[in-house]
Amino acid sequence: MVRKKYTPRQMLWLIMGITAVILLLSLYIWHLSESIRLGYEINELEKQLEALKKEVALLEAEKTSLLNPAKVEKIAREKLKLTEPQPDQIIYLQRESSELNHD
Amino acid sequence: MINREFREKIKKRTIFTCVIFVLWVTVLVLRLVQLQIIDHARLKARVTAQNEDIIPLRPTRASIYDRHGTLLARSLPVYSVFYSAFSDETWETQWQRIRPLLDQLEISRAKKERIKNRIKQSKSFTWLKRKIDREEAERIKALNIKGVFLKRETKRFYPLGQLAAQVLGKVDIDEKGLMGIEYKYNSLLAGEPGQSIILKDAHGRKYQEEILHRPVPGQNIYLTLDTTIQYMAERELARTVHEFQANWGTVIVSSPLSGEILAMANFPSADPNSSAPEDLRLIQWNSAIQQILAPGSTFKIITYAAALENRAVQENEEFDCHLGYIQIAGTSKRVRDHKRFGLLSFPEVLIHSSNVGTIQVAYRVGAANLCRMIQQFRFGEKTGIDLPGEEKGLFRPLEKWSKTSLPSLAIGYEIGVTPIQILQAINIVANRGSLIPLRVVKDKHLYEQVTGRPTAPRRVLSPETATTLLNYLTRVVEEGTGLPARLPGYKVAGKTGTAQKYDPNLGTYTSSAHQALFTGVIFHRHLPLLSLTIVIDEPQGAYYGSQVAAPLFRRIAEETLRYLRIPPETKSPAFIITAQKRSIE
Repeated sequence: MVRKKYTPRQMLWLIMGITAVILLLSLYIWHLSESIRLGYEINELEKQLEALKKEVALLEAEKTSLLNPAKVEKIAREKLKLTEPQPDQIIYLQRESSELNHD
Repeated sequence: MINREFREKIKKRTIFTCVIFVLWVTVLVLRLVQLQIIDHARLKARVTAQNEDIIPLRPTRASIYDRHGTLLARSLPVYSVFYSAFSDETWETQWQRIRPLLDQLEISRAKKERIKNRIKQSKSFTWLKRKIDREEAERIKALNIKGVFLKRETKRFYPLGQLAAQVLGKVDIDEKGLMGIEYKYNSLLAGEPGQSIILKDAHGRKYQEEILHRPVPGQNIYLTLDTTIQYMAERELARTVHEFQANWGTVIVSSPLSGEILAMANFPSADPNSSAPEDLRLIQWNSAIQQILAPGSTFKIITYAAALENRAVQENEEFDCHLGYIQIAGTSKRVRDHKRFGLLSFPEVLIHSSNVGTIQVAYRVGAANLCRMIQQFRFGEKTGIDLPGEEKGLFRPLEKWSKTSLPSLAIGYEIGVTPIQILQAINIVANRGSLIPLRVVKDKHLYEQVTGRPTAPRRVLSPETATTLLNYLTRVVEEGTGLPARLPGYKVAGKTGTAQKYDPNLGTYTSSAHQALFTGVIFHRHLPLLSLTIVIDEPQGAYYGSQVAAPLFRRIAEETLRYLRIPPETKSPAFIITAQKRSIE
């Protein structure tokens, strides 16, 4: 029985091939682990986003409640001592186009 | 020989074993058939119940906004506390464990009894308290009581309190619409629930949860209401009701050209955040669309529309009103004016709201024509506004009219209408004879989808009739009973009304209780900008529409015009003085 002898060139190709396979496998594993890590991160960020959205909804409701016209009028009249203007005190600078206005 | 016997013996034993085996296999097969085919459904259900739980996933209810995007209703996150019973403990042990918590949560005695009974019955799930705030939930979590859990839920919040309460309505504990917009648009606001499956082990412990269907969130709804106009209407209405010690009042403000309701105010009202039964009753009752009343003199608009449309009367004709009363033909009934007018022209009869003159006009119009006009104005049917519980009013068909019906209807009696129907009538006149459906939701398609009614205008009156009638109604405000509603610099058309209330005990209208009404339109550049209808029930002291409702119209209109930045179109003219002595109704 005669053992086949590989030439240095063949050995180099073999080593390069094995290295390429190992690299590809490593890349694949890294890709998988990174995908999982990013998946967790996205999940965590989505949870944070959801929590922040709820916080915003709560704050918006609180803001609207504080801007209740009844509360605003009370502060304007009692704290700031404001009164309604008389017709001759009103100057219309421009006719602002509103939905109801037919401008 | 021995060998043969032995073989025979072996053969018999083999046959016997085979028979036993075949029998055993047959029994097994039969049992399998029983389990897999005959009892399959029952057993599958048992296993599923033991190992799986299908949990509904409720989407967060959508929000409601006004026309400018101001938040009016929103579901906010809260927590609910529940107890999960243990089968390996006695109910007394479990009850002793959670009783201090129930005291801390201030749960009523009756509710405590119900909880106790559920634990006695080994119910696996019992609500202890629903919809608590975050701080309270954190306190309970810190106690770490065995079997006590918190579940995230949402609670409906109305940030502007009682503002537009009857329009918005209310939801129940499970956030299902009970009244108002919350009820009418419930399916849109609620969205579609999803489902998740919980897989449990033999001990009933959850080991996996999977979402089967994701919940579909509800659709936000934008109303036609303007928060500021709504607030001004509510504030001024409350002031008037208090000033005249009235029972209740309602104000509706709309944009006639679009049919959009800008404000719908009711007094008394309540905060929809409250769950007191009395508050619920107040929120449920929307006088603007549910209260049936006699329209009184505001209904003369219809009589005049019929007279003009049928050319029953010439403009320069005069009517004798000098007696101050008119005898109804064929009856002993007399209808009076509050004063003697003398001779009045056709427009002056309306301008001074003479009952005597209007009845003479009605006789010229005829019952059939008046009836047709009432039907054309859609009295006796719902306006179709996208709010639940609207009343259609009371209107008898022509065949059931008595001798008093024609004169009574001419001045707004023997008919029951809702305030929204009066508003619809003035809008028809303001829109030059076209009926534009009234609505509270901004999106026309949504309105059409929910109500099944078109938003396209429909012709009710000829433009000529409407224009002439508008001129008369403008004179009502400029020189007649509607003078207190006059807004210097703006063109206003309107009609006052003072209606006697129907007394069910007496079976007739009583002169001791009245309703004051006013309905009118404000024009801007020859187009109708705003229309208002006002009803004040049983004002004390002064009770005429011109004394109670017309000044309220003026105050609300003034503030609304200022808010909309609509300047006066003309310089305030001096008051018009007519030869006729002015009267209040």
